Amino acid sequence: MAHATHHIIPRPLLLKVFLTLVALTIITALTGQADLGAFNFLHVPLAIGIAVIKAALVVLFFMGLKYDKPINALAFIIGLLMVGVFLAFTLLDVFYRGDIGNLSPEPIRGPQIEQVEAPAGH
Amino acid sequence: MAGVPEAATGHAEAHAHHPPYLQHHFVSAEQQFDAAKLGMWLFLVTEILLFSGMFVAYAVYRVWHPEVFQAASKLLDWRLGGLNTIVLLTSSFTVALAVHYAQLGDKKRLVQNLWLTVALAGVFMVVKYFEYSEKFHHHIFPGGNYAYEGLQLPYVGQFFSIYFVMTGIHGLHVLVGMGVLTWVALKAQRGVFSSEYYTPVEISALYWHLVDIIWIFLFPLLYLIH
Repeated sequence: MAHATHHIIPRPLLLKVFLTLVALTIITALTGQADLGAFNFLHVPLAIGIAVIKAALVVLFFMGLKYDKPINALAFIIGLLMVGVFLAFTLLDVFYRGDIGNLSPEPIRGPQIEQVEAPAGH
Repeated sequence: MAGVPEAATGHAEAHAHHPPYLQHHFVSAEQQFDAAKLGMWLFLVTEILLFSGMFVAYAVYRVWHPEVFQAASKLLDWRLGGLNTIVLLTSSFTVALAVHYAQLGDKKRLVQNLWLTVALAGVFMVVKYFEYSEKFHHHIFPGGNYAYEGLQLPYVGQFFSIYFVMTGIHGLHVLVGMGVLTWVALKAQRGVFSSEYYTPVEISALYWHLVDIIWIFLFPLLYLIH
């Protein structure tokens, strides 16, 4: 039986990836708390961007997808594309319902906060 | 019945070429390993799709009620969430080391790193337990059962529905991972694995990394909303 020639990821590389992940966690926690002033709108893209980088490091090095058979990466990427389709089409409806002529302009959302709150006497 | 002994001989010959862990329907150990790994990646994709349903629900409700998400998120302790992120990242590192030592045939370090991973998963669950009990103590429950005096806003219960369902199902995955890794660690102790055969170590490590990845997204999306 031919000996399996699996790629063995060296320990220093695993350690480097781990330390990078910890550093990115600290950065995301700090920027998450910080007041970015005029750039406060960057909070969500920043948080998601850092999470994507962290996840990519785990997938490529800890899970070894970088050194793996391409078929495994293909399965994974197709899965991610499906998640993208799922998210994009749902949010397309949430953001743009009513902008397309043949749909009711009423967004499918619950009663607005003002309507719910309006207690008697206000 | 000349065929029978002939077949038996062929069978014995096949055994001579096949290591004990190689199942008969595979041509080689390499093929068996590749099939197991591809199967695991396909399973992980279904896991991602399971969680993506919850992430989509999160996105929709956050778009509708950003101010509620921001206020409700402040009730979560980002220090505990951050601590748990570090704990899970460390466990991902130790399970990656376990695979590394399995590949090198270092049984002692393989077993050590597997148990270390199980222990870190336990630490994660203990922190989660304290977080949950603190929430319950303040009557912070999902949906309509939310009854915390300190923050009364319409739809705040929705945030906690999403929080408890996402972290709850993630926590369930941590428990399953602890079970699987314990089973693998016991097998490793019995000396089942070698540098030639370590498929269960690799497969369970992949599962554990996915549990870590899900938390990498849950932490900023739930705890760090500004």
